[in-house]
Amino acid sequence: MQTLKVITLGALLIAAQINSVMAQTPEEKGLEIAIAADQRDSGWKHQTSDMEMILRNRAGKESTRKITNRQLEVQGDGDKTLALFHEPRDVKGTAMLTFSHGLEPDDQWLYLPSIKRVKRISSKNKSGPFMGSEFAFEDLSSQEIEKYKYKLLKEESCGEYECYVIERIPQYANSGYTKQISWIDKAEYRNIKVEYYDRKDALLKTLELSGYKEYPGSYWRADQFEMTNHQTGKSTTLLWKNYDFETGLDENNFNQNALKRLR
Amino acid sequence: MKTIPWPALPAICLLLSGCPISLLGFEDSYILELEALVFPTDSEDPARFNDDFAASFEPELRTTFNEGNTITKFVPFMRWSSRDQERRHADIRELYVLHSLDSWETLAGVTRVFWGVTESNHLVDIINQTNFLEGFDGEDKLGQPMVRFSRSFEQSALTFFILPGFRERQFLSIDNPLSVPFPINNDSPLYESSDGQSHVDFASRFSGYRGILDYGLSWFSGTSRDPYFVPAEDGRLIPFYPLIDQFGLDIQITKDAWLWKLEAIRREFNNATSIEDFSATVGGFEYSFYGMADGLFDLGLLAEYHYDSRDSRADRVPVIFQNDVFAGLRFGFTDAESSEILAGVFVDQDDQSTSFRIEANRRVFTDARISLEAQVFSSVDPGNAIYYLRNSDFLRLSLELYF
Repeated sequence: MQTLKVITLGALLIAAQINSVMAQTPEEKGLEIAIAADQRDSGWKHQTSDMEMILRNRAGKESTRKITNRQLEVQGDGDKTLALFHEPRDVKGTAMLTFSHGLEPDDQWLYLPSIKRVKRISSKNKSGPFMGSEFAFEDLSSQEIEKYKYKLLKEESCGEYECYVIERIPQYANSGYTKQISWIDKAEYRNIKVEYYDRKDALLKTLELSGYKEYPGSYWRADQFEMTNHQTGKSTTLLWKNYDFETGLDENNFNQNALKRLR
Repeated sequence: MKTIPWPALPAICLLLSGCPISLLGFEDSYILELEALVFPTDSEDPARFNDDFAASFEPELRTTFNEGNTITKFVPFMRWSSRDQERRHADIRELYVLHSLDSWETLAGVTRVFWGVTESNHLVDIINQTNFLEGFDGEDKLGQPMVRFSRSFEQSALTFFILPGFRERQFLSIDNPLSVPFPINNDSPLYESSDGQSHVDFASRFSGYRGILDYGLSWFSGTSRDPYFVPAEDGRLIPFYPLIDQFGLDIQITKDAWLWKLEAIRREFNNATSIEDFSATVGGFEYSFYGMADGLFDLGLLAEYHYDSRDSRADRVPVIFQNDVFAGLRFGFTDAESSEILAGVFVDQDDQSTSFRIEANRRVFTDARISLEAQVFSSVDPGNAIYYLRNSDFLRLSLELYF
């Protein structure tokens, strides 16, 4: 996305700055903050991390998934990601390769190690649950500016931070949400909390992010995501470990041969 | 391999709670499968058995060097069966060294390769010998020795295979209800190539994607994995493996919730064998409804049509999928146990022979999976290639433990 994004965003920023001299609408302010947050988290090129996902049902019964993630920032398009599953052990070696394209449908392949088969899968199921968790596919997908319309609702303190409160309305097809309300801290543009509203505009889920750490290149990453479903009483915790921004991954680590090589 | 006291291996691993091999820098994992097969229909043949209990064990050892650019892997497999002595066997599924450098990948050793896109038959998939000892659906494969070179491009890859060492097809024992209906002498199969089993086969494949299109073009030249049969002096049949050239095409178009799929092959024989060249194709779609019943499950509708240019009744080899339709439903539940059900029916469009099939599985405990597979050959025409299976309805229940 970079070249294109930087140019358009640059233009938007200039426009936004010219605008800011005059009175800005809440929509313009919202977009300006989203662009600033996106810029703040651009240029990492590649990153890897380990994720532990803990699913909790209403009765408190837990089950765990372990996944390794690789991500590649792409110039002029959405990011490429490769997710490799380790647990539950019956899906060990299963891997998913995603080329995201902003508003256009993502390209997605699933590798099934037991029969060594790579399957191209439909990416239409944005609102479906990821591995039985409270995270939908769209919650974990690459976040691009053009995927939402923004509006600054207010500014308030959120826990230890001072936050912008921004409404985001999904512009991509097949979203399960009418809107999201996100709390972004003013100092480093980190996501602190997100509320998800379902198609009936009722509060469905709340995501809380905590344990932020700064990594080389001044990229901030949260150690813990806590997603609570208010309608079912279920919740999912993501614990992120081993963030690495210096792996030297390139295009050759994000194709079907690489997908098959993982196991 | 058959002399290994194999039941000792998993027992030792369980006792030591994780094999100590992991200490040597190997990543190790194990699959232990317990299986019960039941054949509820009585047959005219009193020698046939009506049930089979089996257990299989598949360890996997993997290690990486060179910052992950060199991978070695060893996957032996062994099975014990209570009834079928042919199913009591061992195989090396994987034993290779793989090295990747930039866009190049080289592999030497034994491995398995899958090509293709369709669900109800796999036409273009040809590198490995199909292994009917493990399962009826033809998705199990024997390991194939090879040297493989692959070059990845931006949206495609070109792969060359050198395949020394032919793997013969293994057959179930004659008293197994799923066995072919004639006794086979598999001691010394016949080959068209004078090099026999040591004939070196070649294959190449160009595959890639462009937007919503995924494609693969493949070519194979060597000994056919599918045997023909010639009568022996003792009245049994001996497998005969001719030399072939096979061209394959597979295409998938992925648009919204639609997957459109096509596989086609052209198989050519040498004149000397007087086996006629043929073409075959399978094509169809899968359409998914997501989040049915308030998000409880996703429902997929599948339909695939099978065509084969050979006349199944006249040719030397019975052809099952010559003018058949498969239609099915796939339920993918969104529960934490990843429950799945695939149910479908095969109908021969010439004689209306019909076979129903169901596969279902879900996760149990933390790291185990329970599966059910059943197939019913409900109305089979005497002229149909699967007539011999008319009394071979089966129900297979299995528990796979992963540790």
